[in-house]
Amino acid sequence: MAKSFVKSAWIGVAALALSACGGEDADRRSGDGERTIELAEFPDRPYWGDTHLHTDNSVDAFGFGVRLGPEAALRFARGEEVTATTGGSAQLARPLDFLVISDHSDALGATRALFDAPRLAIVAMGDETVLRWYDMMHESPEQSQLAIAELITAAGNGTAPESLSDPEQQVERTRDVWNTHLETLDRFNEPGVFTAIAGFEYSLMPGGNNLHRVVMFRDGSDRTSQTVPYPGLTTTAEGLWDYMSAYAEATGGQALAIPHNSNLSNGLMFELTMPDGSPMTAEYARKRAAAEPVVEVTQIKGDSETHSFLSPNDEYAGFGDTGWELGNLPLTQAATDDMRAGSYVRDALKRGLTLEEQIGVNPYAFGMIGSTDSHTSLATGDEDNFWGKHSGNEPANQQRALLPQNLGTRLGRFGWNYLAGGYAAAWARGNTRAEIFDAFKRREVYATTGPRMVVRMFGGFGFADSDWDNDWVRKGYESGVPMGGELADSGTAPSFMISAQKDPDGANLDRVQIVKGWVDTEGNARERIYDVVWSDMEKRTKLGGKVPAVGDTVDREKATYTNDIGAAQLRAVWSDPDYVEGQRAFYYVRVLEIPTPRWTLFDAVRFGIELSDDAKADAVAQERAYSSPIWLKPAVAKALEAQ
Amino acid sequence: MRLPQWARQPLVHFLIGGAILFGWFAWTGTPVDPASRTIAIDRDVVGNISSGYQQQMGRAPSDTELDALIERYVREEVLYREALRLGLDQDDAVVRRRMAQKMDLIAGSQAEVAAPSDEDLESWLADHPARFAQDIRYSFDQIFFVERSTADLALKSGDLASKLETEAKKIDLPQGVSDMPRQEILSRFGQQFARELDQLEAGDEWQGPIPSGLGWHVVRLREVSGGKLPELAEVRQKVEDDWRLGTAELRKQEAYQLLRDAYSVEIER
Repeated sequence: MAKSFVKSAWIGVAALALSACGGEDADRRSGDGERTIELAEFPDRPYWGDTHLHTDNSVDAFGFGVRLGPEAALRFARGEEVTATTGGSAQLARPLDFLVISDHSDALGATRALFDAPRLAIVAMGDETVLRWYDMMHESPEQSQLAIAELITAAGNGTAPESLSDPEQQVERTRDVWNTHLETLDRFNEPGVFTAIAGFEYSLMPGGNNLHRVVMFRDGSDRTSQTVPYPGLTTTAEGLWDYMSAYAEATGGQALAIPHNSNLSNGLMFELTMPDGSPMTAEYARKRAAAEPVVEVTQIKGDSETHSFLSPNDEYAGFGDTGWELGNLPLTQAATDDMRAGSYVRDALKRGLTLEEQIGVNPYAFGMIGSTDSHTSLATGDEDNFWGKHSGNEPANQQRALLPQNLGTRLGRFGWNYLAGGYAAAWARGNTRAEIFDAFKRREVYATTGPRMVVRMFGGFGFADSDWDNDWVRKGYESGVPMGGELADSGTAPSFMISAQKDPDGANLDRVQIVKGWVDTEGNARERIYDVVWSDMEKRTKLGGKVPAVGDTVDREKATYTNDIGAAQLRAVWSDPDYVEGQRAFYYVRVLEIPTPRWTLFDAVRFGIELSDDAKADAVAQERAYSSPIWLKPAVAKALEAQ
Repeated sequence: MRLPQWARQPLVHFLIGGAILFGWFAWTGTPVDPASRTIAIDRDVVGNISSGYQQQMGRAPSDTELDALIERYVREEVLYREALRLGLDQDDAVVRRRMAQKMDLIAGSQAEVAAPSDEDLESWLADHPARFAQDIRYSFDQIFFVERSTADLALKSGDLASKLETEAKKIDLPQGVSDMPRQEILSRFGQQFARELDQLEAGDEWQGPIPSGLGWHVVRLREVSGGKLPELAEVRQKVEDDWRLGTAELRKQEAYQLLRDAYSVEIER
């Protein structure tokens, strides 16, 4: 006891001295940001961020080679120039407004500690596997990446060495790393300018099936320092939700969890049943819905909106599925078609409606965001500024598009399967921790695959084209609900005000679509895509019910495109032509850009490499945005009558 | 109140700290007496075990779990004392490493207390102007046109008021902004517009049209402000935080060097 007293006395002295020179400015930055800035009446602009970034505190990121920590990550996100791990100066053309650093809670800081330890200490541990990884990490970057791939596979198989998987053995290091990290966040958090949000990644992965979540906190270090990140490898998702509500109860703060890479879950992310296969209970559904209001639908490891198997009538389905659709995260188990519905977000939204009919609660009523999941400390989702999934495929590795990139076996997936990553847009009244978090909580957020399109959607009854002539945003908020909201069935078809504006520094827009999901009278979940508004509508008339393709201006030799086609802004009021009273439904907006070069084409031109035929065919794509849905629910009075 | 210069020297802090440590150990003896065969689990210990579990797992341990945790603690303590009895703390690389890490942590938090002088901060501010300069802020009105020719025509005719109703509504951008930071202009109007705006002189006249990625804008730039490097007094706290973060490693190294200098090391080769 005496030793720890001396240590805490010293740290106490340090803390005292720091707080004495802190004062008002430090308070502004270390809290949740409430009452620090003037807020807009309504959310007046989207704030851009990445909620999924790894630094050298992540067990895998460090092993993959990154040597930049949270500080560099924050500097980069707010617009400063930093030197990437493998050299080269990295900078965002436009800063981000917020960042969640989400290092893996399991073995937080462990590989860095392992790497730094003297070899004798590792020998003394007596674990041959750890010693072998230690030696591989020191041998070369390639060997280090293999060691980490083995580690991830072992974690998925439940065979990771106890010194890395047992939370009890890590609690002290985790607390040290976490508290230091929280202090760093507070220093960079500047209400109204840049928001640094605390979080971690929860890495549950039974049998290599990815059930990862990013957990983000609303609060400053006064509250977040009262907890430590919750381990994933030895727990269950329900345990995570309990941890989150215990945190809220103990501190008065709030946390939410964002599932991601459902595309690598082999059907386990959005099951119709409990994890043990029994029928889902209302209590379980309620807990999940309360804890997980938003999913990450697109990121570097592919896009999870939908799969061509699930949406055969959607000609734009399957974006970012190549490679990732083969199986689970380490590709230790292949994916089959019967798993698809539990792996993709659109079907999860449909399953949510079905479950709500059966048990009265919708566990999958979530909004959508994009993020990067970059393991380089560099939060960039831009095609022309792609710094790689991890430090092994930063641009210094000029062959990165062509090399096999799969974890573990190194078979089946290639560098060109990576997307450049997406961003999260939050409609908030100002840029603070509380405002950004609350936007996520009410699902007033949307996903993009990188471009910063401005997408707005209001649902209500009786919106008309004439509303555009007046203050339509006010009208939307006052007589309708924004994206993420719910409408009660009124006996008439719902109408939607939809506005999409191109990224001012990016490509024009091709079209705006509504994706509708509903449960029909036979109880089957259905989906339909409606083209709502598109560029040059008078010339591009529908042929056989389809809007003709927008065209393609991409110069494959130069990796350039022009904005000679498409539109800068598309707006429409749309009313559901297939509305049936009493049916449960959701509606979300999908915005497509005109075709543009992917990062692979930029690489090919910049480095003078020849892409493989597959990669070449995939080197041009239509980037997109997905709004959070608006749900239409049977009116409460009618539902009661029916009972 | 400002401390005299000598009191702000890290060396002085270390000497005082060393004296306290020496006094503490002289008074209490070594913390665990390996000869003792009595292990007291008082409420403090139970509380520590329990809260450690709660912090990690988000709930308090059940009675059974707590019993198991205490049993684990006792087992560890018994083995620890027996290990001390056998002198296993000597020559053990892991123990040595862990203790050194703890000392490093203490030295690190000590370095945190070090207060920079005004001169330190002045030069830090001067060396990193981009981090502290206020963002340039713009106040302007703008009318959006899809085509350049319509914009030219409207500007020539001087009839801009009517365009506010027709052309400008074709885009979702604010028509008038006050004190908008450049970062927000980049985000909402784009890089091209921001670069063009930098070239304009502020005044009452409508100017342009200037292009953005969206179309053309006739602009009345009312005011440009900020962009200057503030005085240290205005941003002292921010500069100090940045200095602290930016020099933490360096100062940790300095703290170590003070300890290191007290040793003479002889290496036989």
